[in-house]
Amino acid sequence: MSDALNITAPPGSQWKRRFLQPLLRQRSAMVGLAIIAVYIFAAVFAPWLATHDPAAQDLMASLQGPSAAHWLGTDSYGQDLYSRLLYGAQLALIIGFASVALGLVVGVAIGLAAGLMGGRTEWVLMRIVDGLLAFPELILAMAFMAVLGLGTENVVYALALSFVGPFARMTRGDVLQVKNQPYIEAARLMGVSTAAIIWRHVLPNVVSPILVQAGMRVSIAILLESGLSFLGIGVVPPTPDWGLMIAEGRAFITMAPWISGVPGVALAILLVALNLLGDGLRDAFDPTTQKDA
Amino acid sequence: MQEPIFSLLDVERTYELRGRGWFHRASRQLKALDGVRLDLQRGDTLALVGESGSGKSTLIRLMLGLEPASDGRVLYGQRDLAQLDAEERKRFAREVAFIYQNARGSMNPRMRIEDILAEPIRLHRLCAETALPGRVAALLDRVGLPAGLLQRFPGELSGGQIRRVAIARALAAEPQVIMADESVAGLDVSVQAQVLNLLRDLCRESGITLVFITHDLGVASYLCEKIAVLYLGRIVEQGPTEAILNAPRHPYTRALLQAFPRFDAPLKASLSGEIPSPVDLPKGCRFAGRCSEAQAACRETDPALTMFDADRQVACLFPVAGAR
Amino acid sequence: MDCAVAMNPQAADMPANQEPLLDVRDFSLRRGQAVVLDGVNLALQPGETLGLIGESGAGKSTLALALIGLLRAPEVQLEGSLRFRGSELTRLRETDYRRLRGNKIGLIFQDATAALNPCFTVGEQIAEPLKRHLGLSKWDRRERAAELMHSVGIPEPRLRLDAYPHELSGGMQQRVMIAIALACNPELLLADEPTSALDVTIQAQIMELILDQVRALNSSAVFVLHDLALGAQVCDRIAVMYAGQIVEEGPSERVLAAPLHPYTRGLKSCVVELGSRKLEPIPGQVPPLNAMPAGCRFAPRCPKAKAICSAQRPVAEIRDGRQVACWFID
Repeated sequence: MSDALNITAPPGSQWKRRFLQPLLRQRSAMVGLAIIAVYIFAAVFAPWLATHDPAAQDLMASLQGPSAAHWLGTDSYGQDLYSRLLYGAQLALIIGFASVALGLVVGVAIGLAAGLMGGRTEWVLMRIVDGLLAFPELILAMAFMAVLGLGTENVVYALALSFVGPFARMTRGDVLQVKNQPYIEAARLMGVSTAAIIWRHVLPNVVSPILVQAGMRVSIAILLESGLSFLGIGVVPPTPDWGLMIAEGRAFITMAPWISGVPGVALAILLVALNLLGDGLRDAFDPTTQKDA
Repeated sequence: MQEPIFSLLDVERTYELRGRGWFHRASRQLKALDGVRLDLQRGDTLALVGESGSGKSTLIRLMLGLEPASDGRVLYGQRDLAQLDAEERKRFAREVAFIYQNARGSMNPRMRIEDILAEPIRLHRLCAETALPGRVAALLDRVGLPAGLLQRFPGELSGGQIRRVAIARALAAEPQVIMADESVAGLDVSVQAQVLNLLRDLCRESGITLVFITHDLGVASYLCEKIAVLYLGRIVEQGPTEAILNAPRHPYTRALLQAFPRFDAPLKASLSGEIPSPVDLPKGCRFAGRCSEAQAACRETDPALTMFDADRQVACLFPVAGAR
Repeated sequence: MDCAVAMNPQAADMPANQEPLLDVRDFSLRRGQAVVLDGVNLALQPGETLGLIGESGAGKSTLALALIGLLRAPEVQLEGSLRFRGSELTRLRETDYRRLRGNKIGLIFQDATAALNPCFTVGEQIAEPLKRHLGLSKWDRRERAAELMHSVGIPEPRLRLDAYPHELSGGMQQRVMIAIALACNPELLLADEPTSALDVTIQAQIMELILDQVRALNSSAVFVLHDLALGAQVCDRIAVMYAGQIVEEGPSERVLAAPLHPYTRGLKSCVVELGSRKLEPIPGQVPPLNAMPAGCRFAPRCPKAKAICSAQRPVAEIRDGRQVACWFID
């Protein structure tokens, strides 16, 4: 229909028209993005924004409500909740993105290998993936933490491991579908090498659902990380971590609800924002939702 | 006599059908192609015509080396397609181009038209990187499309435009042979006429050898000088287009001609029944079950493709005599 | 433009009070701002077959869908009148339409595979309208379904009654569709590209079957087609559509043998015939709905267009027993 009109569209505007504009048009995704930007800002500039050392204890000032000295109050050790919240954002975002990135790289590699090679390789790889997927993410991460021991790095590895399965399974499914498209065969007929076919023709066509999935997984990672720390098998205290903070505040929930409340609310808002953005990404990438584009 | 560019020597293609379930393990064979013999000369334009299920698509996939022959040999020049080394494969990929029936599906939806057309040129290093844009633009112009389309993605083009791009891509590597599968099916008549004229002009100008699959005898006769009619994996009649249109010798060819819609003749259902499954082929002539002329001998003897006259081959025990 | 009826040569032979089965007058259909169908005039006498012919975007399928009430307000805005056996369809309630569809009006779609429900046997699907419109008993329905399958040329109908659609070939599925469409002896059969997915040999069989059945029931048929030659073979009357308008309409042998409208002529010169020497494609393409030319919609592509063509829309004239909408009929 719009053939005659679109011919005049300036070159280079395609990416904008196909992806950026649909994303910008989604108000809720933009709200999510704005909130995440605030968190990232807080995390990056935590050293300057913080009023106290996040790990400095001041037992004289423990269990205080919000005040001029401690904007969001203090916990049972007298640590400043506001400062811990900022550094906690740093930790949450680093663990969230790092674990998803690692899980994505390994999972996509396995999925690509399984989907493209087929046969016995595929069978073996997918049975391993099935094994990983048999456990709920939290249980798998807990088991892995039990083996590796506590620590921030190990949390990243444990979470990444729990994400390998979903990414591998998804990549393989998409690869299997793309592999049988006529344009792959057409490229082969033209004499395009296998490596170039994977790089130019397969990957670009499987990458967008993977990225959308990655966006959604970040929020799961942050939640899982908090969960692990809450259970006492994640990050070591006194590292400023939201999960730890919530766990510590549990005992004082009736007399000092802000100790759990402050990190809890911060976590909830971040998760909602990440999900809003994830939904927006999905809709922007999904050609079926851009009828007018 | 010139050496043929393609020769098919008694080519067969069978698929094993594995029985389902515990008690039906016995496998059966599906014969998609059965003893096809064909010579293609340089500059020939040949139409492969038949109903769906006649094996014409399988034949072209074999000629492209996409599938191996179960028996017999497919020769390109003098080399067996199955035995090409890497160097020869690459040359074959450059010299033989294929236009898919599903033109849109044969293009990466995330590549711009520009990159799609540049890919084969880059691949075979046909020109310097600096000369590439000019060359791509010239290709697009040659198939009658505006340069504004270069920045578009395949999903944004209309049915007629995408076929033209497919033709342009086939021309990109300066091939000697173009094979095309139903490249005008499903287009509106005016667009179909444009694409047909384009293909015909290209073949006439550049002397490209064309193999065109179609179920439409009109299209076949417009584009090609020779026709091979396929039925259940066999060529049943083959010869110059004119001669076949004027005097079909095989009853199947005649039935196809009669079923073709025309302004000057009433509707005629010339053929009863449907093309049978190629799994359990009858003993005699495989067309006997639907043939109006079938006699007892037809159900016993399987007719071979034999010379009927100077340039016509027919596989029938009792060829149709006289003019149509 | 209510002369479409009067000029119909067959109508002239009939008693003056003979009412057309289908009477479309000044019928327009809008989708938002876009005028998809513009001032369509058509009349179909009982026993006649009509072909709606044109390229994609001509509005022929839209007209067919509007006829059977599948395109209605508020989705689209209808103007003018659509009369079937004297009753006005544009004001019909949905419940009354349902009584009409599958009963008095039979439908055949292009894609039988998509139109048949894969979860029910073909016997059950043929029996459905028998149950809904005729209220036959279960046993009678099965008997009648087998009869219908036999009449549409399905071999061994009793065995196939319990087959699922996917177990049948494309041609057989199309036959099942025809059986469903004919189940209640409709007065009007509407077939939207019934054979464009089939081989020519099967196409000829199916078309012959539809025509035989329509004649046997003495009903009328409207075919939506893109193949001009096929239209010439199966239709008594042809309406050539372009960009939502009927540009030429009349007896098929006259319209196709000596087209008066430049578009009909252009279409005909695009058709590949056996032994065609030269095709002359119509230059350009159908304008998009949101950018329709003001005057004659075909003017930008017309070899004979003059100033008046792009300024003013031509009114359909009666010439040689047909209606033609062109400023320069020769």
